[in-house]
Amino acid sequence: MSLLQVENMTHYFGGLRAVHNFSLDIEPGQIRALIGPNGAGKTTIFNLITGIYTPTEGRIALDGEEIIGLQPHEVASRGLGRTFQNLCLWRHMTVLEHVMMARYSRLTYGLVGAFFGTPRRNREEAASRSKALELLELMDIAHLADQTVINLPYGAQRRVEMARALASEPKILFLDEPTVGMTPEELDQMLGIIRTVHQELGLAIYLIEHRLKMVMELCERIQTLVFGEVIAEGTPEEIQSNPKVIEAYLGKEAVH
Amino acid sequence: MVEKNGASSIDTPKRFVRLRQFLGDIPLLAWLFGGLISVLVETQVGDALASLLGLPKVPVLFGCVLALKHPLLLPGALAYVSVIYIATIVLVGKITARPFNLLAEKMIQWPIVIPVAIHLITLYAIMHVWSDISLYRELTLKLTLIAIMLTLSLNIINGYMGEFSCSHPGFMSLGAYGASAIMVLFFVNDRLFGKALLPEALGPFFFPIALILGGVAAALGALLIAIPSFKTRGDYLAIISLAFMFIVKSLFENLQFMGGARGIKGQPDLANLPTVFIWLVICVWVINNFVRSTMGKALNAVRDDEMAAEAMTVNTRRTKMVAFLFAAFWAGVAGGLFAHTVRFINPNTFGVQRLAEVLAMVYFGGLNSVYGSIVGAVSLNLLSEMLRPLALFKWIIIPLLLILIMIYRPTGLVAFKEFDVRKLIQPKHKSEKEV
Amino acid sequence: MQLFFQNLINALQWGSFYALIALGYSMVYGILMLFNFAHGDIFMVGAYIGFGVATGLTALAAMGALALPNWVILVLTILISMFLTSFVGMLVERIGYRPLREAPRASAAITGLMIGIILETGNLAILGAQRIRFPSLIKSTTYDLGGVFVTNKKIMIVVVSLVLMLALNEFIRRTRWGMAMRAMAFDYVVIPLMGVPLNTIASLTFALGSGLAAAAGILFAIAYPVLDPYIGIIYGWKAFVAAILGGRGSIKGACLAGFLLGFIEIFVGAYMPSTVRDLIAYSIILLILVFRPHGFFGEPHSAKLRL
Repeated sequence: MSLLQVENMTHYFGGLRAVHNFSLDIEPGQIRALIGPNGAGKTTIFNLITGIYTPTEGRIALDGEEIIGLQPHEVASRGLGRTFQNLCLWRHMTVLEHVMMARYSRLTYGLVGAFFGTPRRNREEAASRSKALELLELMDIAHLADQTVINLPYGAQRRVEMARALASEPKILFLDEPTVGMTPEELDQMLGIIRTVHQELGLAIYLIEHRLKMVMELCERIQTLVFGEVIAEGTPEEIQSNPKVIEAYLGKEAVH
Repeated sequence: MVEKNGASSIDTPKRFVRLRQFLGDIPLLAWLFGGLISVLVETQVGDALASLLGLPKVPVLFGCVLALKHPLLLPGALAYVSVIYIATIVLVGKITARPFNLLAEKMIQWPIVIPVAIHLITLYAIMHVWSDISLYRELTLKLTLIAIMLTLSLNIINGYMGEFSCSHPGFMSLGAYGASAIMVLFFVNDRLFGKALLPEALGPFFFPIALILGGVAAALGALLIAIPSFKTRGDYLAIISLAFMFIVKSLFENLQFMGGARGIKGQPDLANLPTVFIWLVICVWVINNFVRSTMGKALNAVRDDEMAAEAMTVNTRRTKMVAFLFAAFWAGVAGGLFAHTVRFINPNTFGVQRLAEVLAMVYFGGLNSVYGSIVGAVSLNLLSEMLRPLALFKWIIIPLLLILIMIYRPTGLVAFKEFDVRKLIQPKHKSEKEV
Repeated sequence: MQLFFQNLINALQWGSFYALIALGYSMVYGILMLFNFAHGDIFMVGAYIGFGVATGLTALAAMGALALPNWVILVLTILISMFLTSFVGMLVERIGYRPLREAPRASAAITGLMIGIILETGNLAILGAQRIRFPSLIKSTTYDLGGVFVTNKKIMIVVVSLVLMLALNEFIRRTRWGMAMRAMAFDYVVIPLMGVPLNTIASLTFALGSGLAAAAGILFAIAYPVLDPYIGIIYGWKAFVAAILGGRGSIKGACLAGFLLGFIEIFVGAYMPSTVRDLIAYSIILLILVFRPHGFFGEPHSAKLRL
């Protein structure tokens, strides 16, 4: 059974059809990508699956469980972690606090624990902390744990976001343009991080990406989205040689 | 003393560095001990010193009132304050710094409850001795402590959660009326509520229950705001809560069995200094626990980026509701204490003016910070009492001060600082200071 | 039926006050996204400035230095006071809001609140606590329209405020400055980059709002000639709520909601004890806001208080 299954998802914003008949199957441990020109509706698809919007039609199942109609936090705690295209970090919080925050749904001490500082709370917070530190270690930013995120360089902020997304222990990770605005070095590092995450944690990854080189290197299967519709799907080689893709996507790029 | 520590965290200019180094090795307990000695000295030699300096009586609030009324007495008042308070505290603190540092080093290894209790008892002793000198001092002190509770609870909403709530006077009045009605009904022979239903001796035992019920009443009121408000984002809460405040106010004006526009008076005199102090300690402790837990920090996440918070499994709506009700509860408790301190309330006590006052304390002290709330409430309360002789001009000076603070430190004096008890009571060493 | 029309006239009069004040709140909110909590007190200051101007002009007229009919004096009073009060508004913007444009909006709300307190206290300090009688500029005549009594003052108040509202509407729709204001309301981050001077527009907005508040103050003083420094708090906050009800930033919404508030208050007061007036008025507003969170004409904004 596939980990994430989207069937015939369609979404309208008012009268505008943003996504049409989108289907997706991700197996555990798979890396897949969604590419497409600007405004094709890629981020909308992410927002639909993660529960920020509710699709007009279609069904979405995560690990065999229907997730349409759930709040985003419920979807997230069922095992869907994500990062954002424009780095949605919490500007007044430290790196460690960011990562610990993503373990919110795993805390069981409740309000009594929060108000009165029960031993159970201390235990859970300590466990959460050590888990968070582990992830920071994995991302190579453990030394920045007590820094406020806005003081960090861009590359480090990206890593914080990644660590935060992993902290909720997702089964599948959604990455929305993880390399946007990065220098070539940072890009290589990010590529390494994504590989590490994939190999060490065995996560399934679904990513939106503009840099074709990266997609070609990482992914097993690629979908190409144009005006809310998937026009091509296949292995990197197939996509690369698909005339429709070249026309709609690469062709457009070439004009620029 | 707590406020002193808070204030020292503001970036100090270079010339204060040496002063800081000089005072830096004094642990909190030594400061408190110095304070205790200084107020004890005041009870012994205060009168004599005052007459020696040509002051008519012991300066009640650090000589400010006296000096403003009779400018010629300013040097005397200054001398009094520097001898009794500043010199004594610094001297005792400096002398006892070493033993208290040793003690602090030991204490930090004990269960945290014991050193905290020692500090709190000392702090209470200072307040007790200080306020014993005059009733006015005691009243000012109690109102200041209550103001800290109010400010801190509003800070949860306006600071930690980043919304703008205007309903705090409303919550306060719900608590005040709730607690007053219960206490007056059961323990006072009153025109409004009839004969006392229970013997007066039981009053002190029922008082905490009455306060809690008042707080619950406030929280229920908050629920009415929270249900519609937290569906929509933006400035919605500000407006709904403002309307709520006015509704509660005119509701009490119209409830004749609650005294209508004349209000309730004659609450039993149960909010004495130890009671208020204990409630304040509980309030600060619980709120600080909350805001330092991941569940409380979820508020910051919601404030800084709500969508990201949702995506990171945070139940944002629940988080906001809980925090709002929690804050309202404490505002209600503070209202109940307030009612039993001044022993007279009417709907006008909880109007726009009170709102401006509480908001001013929150934003003056600093958002998202327990220290900030303490600093804001204490300094604005004391300032407002000390400037009393200026009459009207007080209400020009304080707003001006606040405008300046907003311009130069828009989030307040001590914003975004965690209140860590361990750090507060740890031993202070020179070497550590230089790091 | 007569009673109904009688109340209708009163409601229109009160609606005019509220609408004129609400406009100022709404414009500032629409353009700068902040609550100008000092606006109620600007209304109060406007009334006092009107008092000063009116007293001065009538004194001049009495001395024979200014041979003008009373209605001209009235118009002059309104115009001069609007002009003077607009400077108060600009000053408030300059001192209280401009330095805080990059700061959290809540901080700006606090400075507004504090400026309001300063204006009230300053007034008390300068003029003392006694109430002030506004000179009667027009002689009251009562017309009997089939059992409904209408004074010329009431008609004048409603007409003047409608004229002012229309003038504002024309200004915003037809002039270059008005267009700049509308653009700024659309997006005050990007539009300044296109060469529209933000500071000038902000000043203009405050000036317009304060001018209208001053007009409201004078009209109020003509109807209820006893002034005290707290009229700003009492009526300003109500008008603020009306502005919100109208939809933030919406001119017609503010007018409509101002009149609606007037109607609610007068009709509640007419059929129920006057003490419950505020209670019911605010409850109705709260209910409307629960079901229409963005007011009558407001657009959903997802702006949060920046911290």
